[in-house]
Amino acid sequence: MIQFTDVVKRYPNGVEALKGVSLTIEQGEFVAIIGLSGAGKSTLLRAINQMHTITSGSLKVNGVEVSSLKGKSLRRFRRGIGMVFQSFNLIKRTTVIKNVLAARVADMSVLQSLLSFYTKKDKIIALEALDQVGILEKAYIRADQLSGGQQQRVALARTVAQQPSIILADEPVASLDPVTSAQVMNDFLRINEALNITVVANMHHVDLALKYARRVIGIKEGIIVYDGPAEGINRETLKEIYGRDLTEDELKGEK
Amino acid sequence: MAAFIAMIKGIISSMLKWITPPPLVLSNGKVVRPAISAMWIIVPIISFLTLWSISMTRFRLDMLIRRGGQFFVIVSRMIPPNYAYFDNIITPMISTILMSLVGTIIGAGLALPFAYASSELNQSKIGKFAVRGFFSIARTLPVLVLAVIAMIIFGAGAFAGTFAIAIFTFTIMVKMFFELIDTADMGPFEAILSSGASRIQAFWTSIMPQLWGQYYSLTLYNLEMNIRNAAILGYVGAGGIGIVLAERLAWRVYPDVGLILLVLMITVLVIESISREIRRRLL
Repeated sequence: MIQFTDVVKRYPNGVEALKGVSLTIEQGEFVAIIGLSGAGKSTLLRAINQMHTITSGSLKVNGVEVSSLKGKSLRRFRRGIGMVFQSFNLIKRTTVIKNVLAARVADMSVLQSLLSFYTKKDKIIALEALDQVGILEKAYIRADQLSGGQQQRVALARTVAQQPSIILADEPVASLDPVTSAQVMNDFLRINEALNITVVANMHHVDLALKYARRVIGIKEGIIVYDGPAEGINRETLKEIYGRDLTEDELKGEK
Repeated sequence: MAAFIAMIKGIISSMLKWITPPPLVLSNGKVVRPAISAMWIIVPIISFLTLWSISMTRFRLDMLIRRGGQFFVIVSRMIPPNYAYFDNIITPMISTILMSLVGTIIGAGLALPFAYASSELNQSKIGKFAVRGFFSIARTLPVLVLAVIAMIIFGAGAFAGTFAIAIFTFTIMVKMFFELIDTADMGPFEAILSSGASRIQAFWTSIMPQLWGQYYSLTLYNLEMNIRNAAILGYVGAGGIGIVLAERLAWRVYPDVGLILLVLMITVLVIESISREIRRRLL
């Protein structure tokens, strides 16, 4: 369970990205966060695993106050939370399997990770994760040889190999074409349902957000303006989130 | 006084007018003023520095013309080289190569953790600038000075030379490599960090795979440089071919000197071409 209570995030340059956010996400939910660029979506997501520290308020994940974590305990906490990025953030010059195995280094000693000493168990976990997203046969190919959609699946497999209870996805399909986007979103949905992993995803594509997420959170200038089921989103709520009416094309995330 | 300032102002403004290029008028009547060329500043500075250097070093063209021919006289005495002397230089030559090889490997290996500490990945600003500052100072020491210091500590010989090369490589590799780290793609680093890895682990698994090729390439480049460095270290007694070269040159046994230089040139060329070939394949 993720529990925000009056969370404020102020950056050193004075920008207030979150202005008192309160919300609760239960284990196993699939939540999409929508809103304009700069509305605070990214900050909200990165606050959950302390990639950004919050300025005030309380943020609890599975009962643990996140801002109290430091050093080793923070790293142990992060192991339980996977993260997927818009730009995939793969290590391009190395193989797919090594990318997925990279998610295992957090569980290894420094010496083991320096020597890249992965156990057989680690390798099996990595290969099973690749199988989950349907690209097992690409395991020993260099990551930069894959298409964008395949790269995002590797990134998803890397996250699954981490065996997290929560996956945070920062614009996971923003740089993919519509067909590939749908495939990747299906992967997210399957993993969400099969493994009961909470998925919190920032989405530019409103139509995809409404199609895949059961719950949608609309954020505007650091304040939550909508929080409810995807079916509850209509013209009016979108207008409130985005500040004006959206056209048919804009709903599909096309310019 | 006021008249004087007005005069200076007048001179400056007329000079500026003289060096300002005429404005360009476009067909639609818009006027563009080209910028004043930087050459008006650069050329006078370079000219001044050149003239100053000539007077400082007492560079004399007539000396170059009168005595310059001696260079070719000495070279001609080296030909033909004394091939019989080869047996005497093979050991110091191999020792020169080994000195630079071992020194380069040690220096390059030591440089890795300190390059990390100097890079933007180091969260401690004080730590980062302390390490960078230390290496900036350390880099000002020429390899010959390092060799002399090493000889005071360890005594004359190849060990002192190897030590000097290792330290020299260490200090320059730190700078060269931390600049590479700072140009690496930080996305994968964020990804591994978010999975709960420590910064060192994230660096090793996400940044280094991007940089291994460039790291080996830098190391080989240093090896090339160090072969040449090692050849002169003998001049101060720090082992290698330089000792023999200095001695033969002092005795003016030019055919022997000729052979030493020939072997040295071939060695450097061979190592450089091997290194270049490996580096081409790495990148």
